[in-house]
Amino acid sequence: MAYEVVMSQLGLSMDSGQIIQWLKQSGDNVKAGELLLEVESDKSTVEVESVESGILHIVLEPEDGDIPVGKVIAYLLAEGEQPPVSEKPAVPTATPAPEPAVASPVVMAEKKLESGGNKWPRPNRPPSTPAARRRAKELGIEWRLATPTGSRAAIKERDVIQLAESLKAAASPAATPEVQISPVARRLAESVGLDLDQHVQQYPGKRLERVDVEQIIRRLISTTQTSAGSPHKVIDDSPAQRQSMGRLRSLIAERMTYSTKTYAPVTLTTETDATELVRIRDGLKADPKIEVVPSYNALLAKLVAEALLEHPKLNASLEGEEIVFWETVNVGIAVDTERGLVVPVVRNVQARSMHELALDIEELLPRAKEGKALPDELTGGTFTITNLGGYDIDAFVPIINPPESAVLGVGRLIDKWVVVDNEPAIRTMMTLSLTFDHRLVDGGPAARFLQRVKQFVEQPYLWLV
Amino acid sequence: MSMHERIGTIREAINEAIHEEMRRDDRVFIMGEDIGVAGGVFKVTAGLLDEFGPERVRDTPITEAGIVGLAVGAAMTGMRPIVEIMFSDFTTLASDQIVNQAAKLRYMTAGQTSIPLVIRAAMGAGRRAAAQHSQSLQAWFAHIPGLKVVMPSNPADAKGLLKSAIRDDNPVLYFEDKMMYNEKGPIPEGDYTVPLGEARIHREGTDATLICTSSMLYPAFDAADKLAEEGIEVEVIDPRSITPLDEETLVNSAIKTGHVLIIDEGYQNYGVTAEIAARVQEKAFDYLDAPVRRLGAADVPIPFAPSLEDLTIPSADQIVEIVHEMRA
Repeated sequence: MAYEVVMSQLGLSMDSGQIIQWLKQSGDNVKAGELLLEVESDKSTVEVESVESGILHIVLEPEDGDIPVGKVIAYLLAEGEQPPVSEKPAVPTATPAPEPAVASPVVMAEKKLESGGNKWPRPNRPPSTPAARRRAKELGIEWRLATPTGSRAAIKERDVIQLAESLKAAASPAATPEVQISPVARRLAESVGLDLDQHVQQYPGKRLERVDVEQIIRRLISTTQTSAGSPHKVIDDSPAQRQSMGRLRSLIAERMTYSTKTYAPVTLTTETDATELVRIRDGLKADPKIEVVPSYNALLAKLVAEALLEHPKLNASLEGEEIVFWETVNVGIAVDTERGLVVPVVRNVQARSMHELALDIEELLPRAKEGKALPDELTGGTFTITNLGGYDIDAFVPIINPPESAVLGVGRLIDKWVVVDNEPAIRTMMTLSLTFDHRLVDGGPAARFLQRVKQFVEQPYLWLV
Repeated sequence: MSMHERIGTIREAINEAIHEEMRRDDRVFIMGEDIGVAGGVFKVTAGLLDEFGPERVRDTPITEAGIVGLAVGAAMTGMRPIVEIMFSDFTTLASDQIVNQAAKLRYMTAGQTSIPLVIRAAMGAGRRAAAQHSQSLQAWFAHIPGLKVVMPSNPADAKGLLKSAIRDDNPVLYFEDKMMYNEKGPIPEGDYTVPLGEARIHREGTDATLICTSSMLYPAFDAADKLAEEGIEVEVIDPRSITPLDEETLVNSAIKTGHVLIIDEGYQNYGVTAEIAARVQEKAFDYLDAPVRRLGAADVPIPFAPSLEDLTIPSADQIVEIVHEMRA
């Protein structure tokens, strides 16, 4: 009896993956527990081990690209057995090597939903109607982001339309939704693929008729014609290297676009005196008994978590009309990798000792940098820290990582002349920038939070006790 | 298409169609139980005997298999028989002749013969006629290749569809809902025909589609009125014939509204509603914003007790409720 090896689900949000490489060849005798292949999901590469023994017969290769979860990628055969012809999905016989740890409230909620009497678990597939999914495809938006209003919590077509409208409204606050467009004009615009919303501002207070749309089209055509043969063409003819965006890049693009379109970001900056923090760390470094000296990221994660406990609104997410206050502080730490940005998440920061955190971060960050973090280690954050100090960056404006509502940007540590008690003094300074979602938090509370973080940096004993 | 029309009942429309076709083509004749002297138990064939005589208007014994068998034979010789089966429940007695002979002979003779036969039968519940005189068995015949199945819902269609059925070279079952005979409406005068396989949109709407056969048009209208008061505009479509089926009109409406309910007085299990639902979802799947819903007769032998019988028939209230559920 041939065992079917299927594309495993390596994280709750994973619905497809890519084979990076097979670690065994077709014809190899594989034993249960041996590593079979490397799979890349949304943001990480995971080694998958076999849970059965047999002679490997590979069906799908890295060249096959994106493979849906559950699809047969190989068979494990008995001696002399022929592989079956069909490729139907089956129960997974391969599992990711280590069990992913689950702590985030977001992830927990998803789990609960799935176990809620669903006979055929469809991971990450909330109830939705075909019309909703088709409409989302037409609009080029992700239907899973819609707020369901249908019976049995189904996402209906109207929910997708609502989502599209709110995305559009967030993207162009200047747009005037009151502009009226006649059905004929709208149909004409749709038939030539013209996005009327880009043009309505030019017709304030007017009802757009067919002639107006025709005029817009004529104008666009003439612009296109005059530009033909000009620099555009030169650029088109010049050799350019094109390469596929890749999964991680496109995911980053999708999330960043979503963030900038949906959120109302405001950034506050402050310069803090990190001399005490540096002194503490140097002191720890000097002590041979300390195995793992907490990095600045670890220290910042802990002190931010302490500050977040006092300012829960910054550790929250907006879901539809509701604000969800997360009970744990899961701090994501942005990590630059060769493949692009990833944000490994350190969970339950508020409840864990500095020592535990230091160990955890020491282990997780390098692994994430190599692309080996598990998918579930890259999701479920409630607040993000992004540190560009290592690149001599003084300050920058970070973008919020959805569905979180704030992100802290950390600049470099630099010795500066500052005035202390009316005297010039050399202090180690660091600039912090907080971007927060103004839909959820106002400037005052956000400033008070950042002020508290500044205080914790300057006087670490405030949160060490 | 004629210029003039008058207001009349479905009974009158059918009667007129038979009169006109018998005048037009002397190969057309009619057979059945009590259709001649008595003018039919529902008085649909009144006046035919006087005008056309006993040669072309034949009262028969109570022998459904025999009547249909004779008609199949007559059709093979070039006649164009109309057979009345008093209650559609009795088509089961003639089913060998209908299913194994009428439906098959044109194919089995490679077209050397054809069976231009019309079988009219009264269907439907509501007349306190109990379990053996109240059924709607159209799905049985729609299941058989080689048969056409026509279900008029109003006087104009009743006339136009019957004339087309009589002129069709294939066996056609023509089901008349016995509760609808007195339903009034315009009847186009003269040579008015309605092609088989063309649905009729009775009411346009954008929010949901009601596909209803035969007398189910009327609860659908009532439901549409009630829903319109709430601002829900439903489209009401009568396929008019279920074989051939005007899939295009039904699918287009489904694409337009995204919500489809099919109502037919046959039993819901494995019924006409099931077939139409399957076809609509196959072609309009990506446009459906709710599962396609069906409403048929309750799956029980039709009760004799009036209070219970009424509960087996699809009602306007049920339609309204289902539309609400679909749009929830």
